[in-house]
Amino acid sequence: MPLDSSIYTLSALRLDGRRWNELRRINGQISTQQAADGSSYFEMGNTKIVCTVNGPQEQKRGGGRDQSNEAKVEVEIGIAGFSGVDRKRRMRNDKRIQEMQYTISSAFQNTLFTHLYPHSTIAINLHVLSQDGSLLAACLNACTLALIDAGIPMSDYIAACTTGSMASYADKEDEADPLLDLNGLEEQELPFLTVGTSGGEDKVSVLIMETRVQMARLEAMISVGLDGCKQIRSILDGIVRAHGKKVLESKVS
Amino acid sequence: MPREAEPSTNEQAFLLSALRENIRLDSRAFDAFRPIDLSFPGGPDEYGTAEVRIGKTRVLAKISAEVVAPYADRKFEGVFTIACELSPMGSAAFEVGRQDQSEILLSRLLEKTIRRSGALDTESLCIVAGSKCFHIRADIHVLDHDGNLMDASCLALVAALMHFRRPDVEIHGEEVTVFDVRERDPVRLAMQHQPFCVTTSYYDGGAIMLQDATLLEEQCRDGEIVISMNRFGEVCSIAKYGGTPVDGLSMLTCTNVALEKVKMLDKLVKDSLAADEKRRDAGGLMAELSAENDR
Repeated sequence: MPLDSSIYTLSALRLDGRRWNELRRINGQISTQQAADGSSYFEMGNTKIVCTVNGPQEQKRGGGRDQSNEAKVEVEIGIAGFSGVDRKRRMRNDKRIQEMQYTISSAFQNTLFTHLYPHSTIAINLHVLSQDGSLLAACLNACTLALIDAGIPMSDYIAACTTGSMASYADKEDEADPLLDLNGLEEQELPFLTVGTSGGEDKVSVLIMETRVQMARLEAMISVGLDGCKQIRSILDGIVRAHGKKVLESKVS
Repeated sequence: MPREAEPSTNEQAFLLSALRENIRLDSRAFDAFRPIDLSFPGGPDEYGTAEVRIGKTRVLAKISAEVVAPYADRKFEGVFTIACELSPMGSAAFEVGRQDQSEILLSRLLEKTIRRSGALDTESLCIVAGSKCFHIRADIHVLDHDGNLMDASCLALVAALMHFRRPDVEIHGEEVTVFDVRERDPVRLAMQHQPFCVTTSYYDGGAIMLQDATLLEEQCRDGEIVISMNRFGEVCSIAKYGGTPVDGLSMLTCTNVALEKVKMLDKLVKDSLAADEKRRDAGGLMAELSAENDR
């Protein structure tokens, strides 16, 4: 087992030298692609994602059949073959990816003011260049930045991160510390969940967990996750403000 | 795609205003399930079919086994696949031969609940490492859709897996004999735990939470939280795909309610299995003929 929990308790440092409540280096850029209406590049440690947004625009297929008075959010995720450790062609109809697409689209469907754009679509394209854990969380954050760049009104940022729990077995209950923002190796070993918040005051918009964990651990994991989301939200806010400043300065001069 | 007709504005308003006065349209409590009926159709030699009715929702699960070669990267494990079929029989909104969004979500959720949580011990399905193993296939058929497909399908699948018996095998070196059901008593599958799904639908941004929503209630809801766990309180998966944001704390109350429901479902499956065994074992011969070892 690569994660030796005895080492962890001695120095209280993780594999990559972080403490339990530390995020990885987060870096984001806005307006990276000229062709798209909105775009962003987002890094969470070694997970790197390019996101482009097109729209709101007229629906491409099935014109006129759509009776709803809201814009539809369509998400497509492309995972590059070189993004993981082993080179693997992922099929487009992979169920795991389709589930992620659905998660992102339904999360933003409720955060964007879709009622302002009836009979139209907002197309989000995500390209995963490198993956090292927290994939869904990084995708959600990248989408938030790109949608802000596209100028689509939304009620709040969706900020997401992952949390894990040390020791996955019941006999080590006392060692069950929560961990914030897992990397790829930790994600393979430990039970973890992805939390996405929007609307402030600890409102959970997305919560996905796929690994088995004791019920008693959930509370600590969720509260650490909410705290992490708060940190990420302020980082995203910083990126947006810095970009806004730059745009304004270039307009003035 | 033929879309389900959305409920009229009047209907929606009626349902919501009733909920705000703590009344459900079918006069159940908010956390109450509709009557659940679990049966195991089939003759005395037929195992692994379970039919679940929750109210008007009806789901059939059928398990089958065959001997195949294992995957090259997993030589010591058998194969377990789950296939979901949403046919037009269940609802006019389902189409044949097209993977619809709800079908993908349903099969992903079952996969996460049963397969990823290791409910079925796939290593016990290995016959000869690297060359022969059992392929257990679970087919889920939705016969009638009146809401809460997740819980019903999961219940049917777990019950069918617990009911199923695979043919007994004997190994002499490389030679494998698979015995017919009439030659040797078939063997149960090794289940490590029994997870169940409990879906919570919420309204008014999480102020009203319902278990076991009917189709109409599902169409009016703000969002849903699907929690699957076993009776020991181990949560196997949580899925809240977007929807309106809810309070972080209410997620925890959801898991507490889910545990209570899971215990109820677990007991229901055990009781139904025991009743079914009694029915099949009319002459009391089964105990004598059993080839199963006590472990």
